[in-house]
Amino acid sequence: MSDSVLWYTTRGAGAVTLILLTCVVVLGILSTLRLQSEGWPRFLTTSLHRNLALMTLVFLALHVVAAVVDPFTNLGWAAALIPFSSYYRTFWLGLGVISFELLLAIVVTSLLRGYIGHHIWRAVHWLTYAAWPVGVLHGVGTGTDTWSAWMLAITAGCVAAVGIAIVLRLTTGSPDPLAPQRAAFRAAVDRREVP
Amino acid sequence: MEATTHTERRVRARDAALRLLNRLTVGAALAAAAGVGVLGAVSAATIPGTITSTSTSTSATASTSATSTSSTSSSSFQSTSGVSSSSGGGVTVSGSSH
Repeated sequence: MSDSVLWYTTRGAGAVTLILLTCVVVLGILSTLRLQSEGWPRFLTTSLHRNLALMTLVFLALHVVAAVVDPFTNLGWAAALIPFSSYYRTFWLGLGVISFELLLAIVVTSLLRGYIGHHIWRAVHWLTYAAWPVGVLHGVGTGTDTWSAWMLAITAGCVAAVGIAIVLRLTTGSPDPLAPQRAAFRAAVDRREVP
Repeated sequence: MEATTHTERRVRARDAALRLLNRLTVGAALAAAAGVGVLGAVSAATIPGTITSTSTSTSATASTSATSTSSTSSSSFQSTSGVSSSSGGGVTVSGSSH
């Protein structure tokens, strides 16, 4: 395979991964709003969120593998797996490795959710809020195309999408009709657990 | 009877939603695969990587493509690695970092 093809694949897959990860984060945030309609039941949001998360990992793997096997980069597998071990743009590539490993942890714990329990899964899942911005910073810091108009538009669009979703999440009250009852139940359970 | 109709309607709605989920997932996968190609092509078109020598006596060689330039020529080039300047002025490589 041509070295140029690997190089362009790395860059293309990186941009696609950013878009997919953004969709995953936005769907995850929207799923907490319990949006639904007649043609869009609630499980569709969470199922699409899960499918896109797995897809993101595939394209992220393509991005990493293409970068590592490209002879021009000469990065090596250690640089792709151990944060801040790369000779090339150590900090920015290290952020990419951290984001990759956070996503891997999130996906693995989601697949093992039935075994590890809801609380651990939920705690790990909060890492998504770190993985996404770290991934964006990695792209801005080390991306060859960062300052190209098309890549700037993609990055700005992704940041705007997540920003709007977060604002919606924070400004919209809980749509859970049983929220007060659940809170009262948890409080009662907590009171009983106190010795 | 009415309960059965209601259940059937819910089952149909669920099946329709599952079909929509499959279509969206396949569509997203195809779009993402196409996106890698398209964005790769766009990145190649916008920043293909060029090597430009600014001296009349400069020659630059690449370790893999054996591209050489002389005088004020400019040629397509991918990487900063493996470039050496034999003499003369500076060699500027742009858009070649990964």
